[in-house]
Amino acid sequence: MELVIRDLSKRYGNGVQALDRISLAIGPGMFGLLGPNGAGKSTLMRTLATLQEADSGSATLGDIDVLRDKDRVRRVLGYLPQEFGVYPKVTAVEMLDHFARLKGLTDARTRKATVEALLERVNLANVRNQKLGGFSGGMRQRFGIAQALLGSPKLIIVDEPTAGLDPEERVRFHNLLADIGEDVIVILSTHIVDDVADLCPRFAVISKGRVLLSGEPREAVARLGGRVWERTVARDEVGAMQASLPVISTRLHAGRTVVRAYGEGSPAPGFEPARPELEDVYFSAVSGHLEPAREGVAA
Amino acid sequence: MSTGALGAIARFEFATKLTRISTWVYFSVFAAVALLWMAAAGGAFASANVIFSADKVFINSPYAIAQTVTFLGMLGTVVIAAFMGRAVQQDFETLAFAFFFTSPITKAQYLFGRFIGAALVLMLIFVGIALGVLLGTHLPGVDATRVGPWSIAALVEPYFVMLLPNVLVLGAMFFALGALGRRMLPVYIAGVVVLVGYLIAGRLLADIDNRTVAALIDPMGSIALGVLTRYWSPDEKNQRLVPVANELLWNRALWLGVGVAAFAVCFGRFRVVQPGEEAWRRGRKARALEAAAAQAATPATPRAVPQAVVRRATGDYARQLPGVIALYLRETVKSPYFVAIVLTGALFILGNARVVGSIYGTNTYPVTYQVLEFASGTFGLFVLIVTAFYAGELVWRERDARVAQIADSLPTPTWLGFTAKLVTLFAMQALLQLVVMACGIAIQLASGYTHLELGQYLYRLFALQLPGFWMIAVLALTVHALVNHKYLGHFIVVLYYLFIVAAVSFGWQDRLYLFGGQPAIQYSDMNGYGHFIPAVRWFQLYWGAACIVLLVVARLAWVRGTDVEWRARLQRARSRLGIPLVATAVAAGVVFLATGAWIFYNTHVLNPYRDENKQEALRADYEKRYKAYATHPQPKVVGVKVDADIRPEAHDIRFRGEYQLRNRNPGPVTELLVNLPEEATVHALAASIPLKLEEERRDLSWRRFGLAQPLPPGGTMTLSFDLEYAARGFTNSGASKEVVDNGTFVNSGLLPVLGYQGRMELSLDRERKKHGLEPKERMPSLDAPGVRDRNYISSDGDWITFETTVSTDPDQVAIAPGYLQKEWTGNGRRHFHYAMDVPILDFYAFLSARYAVKRDAWHGPRGDVPIEIYYQPGHEYDLDAMIAGVKDGLAYDSANFGPYQHHQVRILEFPRYASFAQSFPNTIPFSEAIGFIAKVKPKDPKDIDYPYYVTAHEIAHQWWAHQVIGAYAQGATMMSETLAQYSALMVMKHKYGDAKMARFLKYELDSYLVGRATERKSEQPLYRNENQPYIHYRKGSLAMYALQDAIGEDAVNRALASFVRKWAFKGPPYPLSTDLLAELRAVTPPEYQGLLADLFEKITLYENRAISATSRPLASGHYEVTLKVSARKLYADGNGAQKEAPMDEWVDIGVIGAGEEPLYLEKHRVRSGESTFTIDVAGKPVKAGIDPVVKLVDRRPEDNTVPVN
Repeated sequence: MELVIRDLSKRYGNGVQALDRISLAIGPGMFGLLGPNGAGKSTLMRTLATLQEADSGSATLGDIDVLRDKDRVRRVLGYLPQEFGVYPKVTAVEMLDHFARLKGLTDARTRKATVEALLERVNLANVRNQKLGGFSGGMRQRFGIAQALLGSPKLIIVDEPTAGLDPEERVRFHNLLADIGEDVIVILSTHIVDDVADLCPRFAVISKGRVLLSGEPREAVARLGGRVWERTVARDEVGAMQASLPVISTRLHAGRTVVRAYGEGSPAPGFEPARPELEDVYFSAVSGHLEPAREGVAA
Repeated sequence: MSTGALGAIARFEFATKLTRISTWVYFSVFAAVALLWMAAAGGAFASANVIFSADKVFINSPYAIAQTVTFLGMLGTVVIAAFMGRAVQQDFETLAFAFFFTSPITKAQYLFGRFIGAALVLMLIFVGIALGVLLGTHLPGVDATRVGPWSIAALVEPYFVMLLPNVLVLGAMFFALGALGRRMLPVYIAGVVVLVGYLIAGRLLADIDNRTVAALIDPMGSIALGVLTRYWSPDEKNQRLVPVANELLWNRALWLGVGVAAFAVCFGRFRVVQPGEEAWRRGRKARALEAAAAQAATPATPRAVPQAVVRRATGDYARQLPGVIALYLRETVKSPYFVAIVLTGALFILGNARVVGSIYGTNTYPVTYQVLEFASGTFGLFVLIVTAFYAGELVWRERDARVAQIADSLPTPTWLGFTAKLVTLFAMQALLQLVVMACGIAIQLASGYTHLELGQYLYRLFALQLPGFWMIAVLALTVHALVNHKYLGHFIVVLYYLFIVAAVSFGWQDRLYLFGGQPAIQYSDMNGYGHFIPAVRWFQLYWGAACIVLLVVARLAWVRGTDVEWRARLQRARSRLGIPLVATAVAAGVVFLATGAWIFYNTHVLNPYRDENKQEALRADYEKRYKAYATHPQPKVVGVKVDADIRPEAHDIRFRGEYQLRNRNPGPVTELLVNLPEEATVHALAASIPLKLEEERRDLSWRRFGLAQPLPPGGTMTLSFDLEYAARGFTNSGASKEVVDNGTFVNSGLLPVLGYQGRMELSLDRERKKHGLEPKERMPSLDAPGVRDRNYISSDGDWITFETTVSTDPDQVAIAPGYLQKEWTGNGRRHFHYAMDVPILDFYAFLSARYAVKRDAWHGPRGDVPIEIYYQPGHEYDLDAMIAGVKDGLAYDSANFGPYQHHQVRILEFPRYASFAQSFPNTIPFSEAIGFIAKVKPKDPKDIDYPYYVTAHEIAHQWWAHQVIGAYAQGATMMSETLAQYSALMVMKHKYGDAKMARFLKYELDSYLVGRATERKSEQPLYRNENQPYIHYRKGSLAMYALQDAIGEDAVNRALASFVRKWAFKGPPYPLSTDLLAELRAVTPPEYQGLLADLFEKITLYENRAISATSRPLASGHYEVTLKVSARKLYADGNGAQKEAPMDEWVDIGVIGAGEEPLYLEKHRVRSGESTFTIDVAGKPVKAGIDPVVKLVDRRPEDNTVPVN
């Protein structure tokens, strides 16, 4: 099954063009959707999760018209929204059981087994009779993924799941995602490059509602080979440099600033060639230094 | 820094709220409501019926403004809750507290600053009321004569006396709850509790002993204001600024204390560091859980998640529905707030059960209908609150908990959540009805009453009331679905409630256009729900169909997903608009229109629909067109022979009969002016002299016939008629309550009445003016020419002969005045032939019901007089008291005033659609509401045996009306109602003693004083009263009691006996009240002539007050009491404007010992001003004072006595 998005557009009432002719083809496996805050990631996720209307364009999942046949989408969908709450006075098992029932797991025995197995899988089995109100952020996210996995979904959408998690929780969460079957489409939206680098064989970068780049991380990194340059400078030099050079990123290292810039050759004296990383791909794309994306639909 | 920071915080709070649109919305709503209210009171809307207690009270009088500001300020409680509750709570909700708690401000600066800021915003919002009041009086259409002089003080004072204290007191409580609880729910619950305080206070007012308590427990001061001004005459209402005194002062002081206490608690317990602590505590809990979760080492091979067996047929979802509903319901019902509201409501019911059906402070048996009406009526408000609140909560449930995105992307059909929420609301309401049922049964059992009619409970609560609640639920759900803004949704629902409450005042009464409207129904033990149910069912069907249309709208507008822009919602609505929804809407729409048409046909075509304004217009039209005929000579009715066929189940009555008419005028009669109710079907109307119809206006009940030959003076003729009153469908208010399945009661008003009917004329000046008529007196003046020509009971007859045959269903008994001559069954109907052996007034009635009969007899000096009480089986409670009342009444009246003219007394119960008893010759219809279920506890010093009293009053009417009848003029009812009160009082006094009479007179005094305070035209002295009940009954009781107390019962009775001898069975000419006064004057000694005039010819008020009382023991064992009193006498005019009069008269001075026992009670000469008395009493004195048992009209009777020191 493949998710094919063509020319999807959405403009909000306040004039913001959240999606601008987005086209993507997403096959089974993890797909990373990378972009800065406000890029339109969540709008795209919510549109695919049937929560939002689009103005134009289409999206199909196999033979399902995602924009119109919402009910069929929901039957194969697992969705973990960017922000969600819980009923604080309800226990994990009660809540999950309720969602399972609504997902159509009407057979009590199967439902019970599913709920137990999922809680075990997300490592919440020991606290299954505890009220959700006391859960930490990481536990809540794990609970969230458990509910997204109910009913053997074919399309799983996880929107910014690792924001706010501490490193340990993040690793644990990544492991959970990595365990999801390979025949399932998993779309992971994030603004953290490492999430994609760690997990996703395929990815896309979107910004201001447009797809800037899509493909395989390794390939994208390879395309930058020899074009990333680095120089460590004093902090007061950075401003001038950003104004005159195609700077990809700046970061502080031991109180001095490491500037990475894009260039076929050394962009300026003092720059050393650097090994490109996915982060460079991302920042280059967002800052417009990379040539426009290849035809968005990756084979 | 210190006050600077406080000021800065207050300013910031104030300024930010000023920029909120909601602040100005509230301001505008208050201004608009005040404006509309004023305009309505000023007569800008023809149909509106809003007055400030009396027509003569200016709409901008100090009293009216105080009432308006206070009342609208009460509605402002919601706003106070919103602003004060959120003043601190908002910082927790928005997580902004961290900024404030880390800045260098003190707790005091923070809390006071916020409080003051919010209080200022609230006062600003409430200024909208004054603005609306000012503007409202200037709207076009406002009658300039209803607007008096403006007083700035009157406009400003209520703000400082009522609103500011309310903002501070309620504000402090809400502020504290919001700040300490950090949630808004407790604040709203407190709002409900405040409302309940007000409601309980309102209930307590029913018993005059509880007034002070009632005034104190209403936190908003509204009841206190009402109690303080309850006896103010229209003139006082126009002149006096509401003083901060007595009950109002105590109330304000008490609640300000409560407010300070609430703020102090808030101040003491508020911790600026608390959130941090709590976050830490929560973090620790989470870490502990985390550790617990981690303990289970992830198994090497995790358990496999079963491949989902997912069923998705519609049937599967239907099967999920009960589970989802159960979940929602459990969640709602288990919430402490729901429990709090329900418990408050239940306690309110149980707490007020004591005053259910109380008349003269005396309870009734807790019969099911009464308990049920009380409990469901009281609790209805709570159901509405809960419905409005939880409609919003349920619609917003997932979004508030931030699980909406998960829930909305689940593969459940949208209708599942929608239906589940709707049904949850329905079920919740049903549950509340069960609470009502439990409370009702508890009330019944608690007073040892075990005749529980469960069927009646279930029928009323679930078949009649619940569908109405469901409609409200649908409306609230639709509003919330449409506006998609929780607080705005709540506000709209509350506005709707207010609209419904106000609709009647504004003249919107057509239930066809008021959502959920249906005719009111009244249960009667005699007639059950009668034939009123079908109309209700039609309306339910009609509005039910409307609800289904609403549900389709709600379903289309239902928000699922995150896209809430109108464009997207419309897009989604379009995509949802499939065949099933369209078909449902169309089908429901068709049902709605069809039933609407049917209802319209019934309520507007078969039966004319007229609001009050239209009815007034008809009466005005009658006067304008036909007043000229008032002087046209008409013959008088001298004999009536009529057959009445009552068909209870068809709700049909047919009269075939004949009037004997005689021309008693000096000239010939050339035309007959026949008044017949519009509803009559005239099968035949003919006379012994051929009639020619000259003019007919059925809507004005008017027919004018020319006589083929004039009827000469002294000549006689007959008028024969065949009239039918048949049920015609149903009306906007239900159906006619006259001919009913069981308990028919109709009177002679349904038969032709001759001549121009002065009583059709509008009597209130305001109404007359509206319809272009000059003001007029309500009754002819005592010295009007020809005033003695007719009596006040009937305009077209004097003393008549009467004979009737009444037929009814075979299982019913039919009764009319007269003696049963013959009874037979024929044609499947039961016939009763009655004939009267003496002339009677032209006033009679017909009754029919399935009666049980209790028989007894009074052994009178001229033989036995049989007594029969026809009653509803089950209503045996008070029959003995009634029989005693008949016997004692007959004995007293015949011994003192002359023989009883009939040789039988019948009392006939009729349904509680009206609550009066009425005396016809030998026949007394008596409502089931005022004596058949009274529970008079003989040992309770407070209970009044009112079945006995009412019976004695009606028996007395056999003399006072049916022997002596006054002329149709001012003071006429002094000769019937006042004297009947006197007879009843004397009968009661002999049976129950003076102490009980003092208790009874306390109620009479209160009724009189309240009556004159709300007089709509002009208070008259007793001898010129214009059929004003608070004067002829209530003041009549007080005056006659005081008179007999002064001059002696024997003297009064001698005068009355003489009056009867002169006037009984005579007329015309008929007697005037001055004739009665002359008799009384003749027996009154000189020292009481002034009193007689004060009681009957003037409006006299006393301000008697005990100042101090001290006592010292004497050597004899006695005590010497020194009593200082002040006395003052005032004369009032019809408007209540007072003038002090010199006082020099005999007034009771009394000393009261333990157990309310009078140690001394003698009349002393008392003059205006202060005087001192020294009294020697045998027992230990407890209280002493002037007029201690309150025989004189005094508006503060409670200060007549003081404790003895």
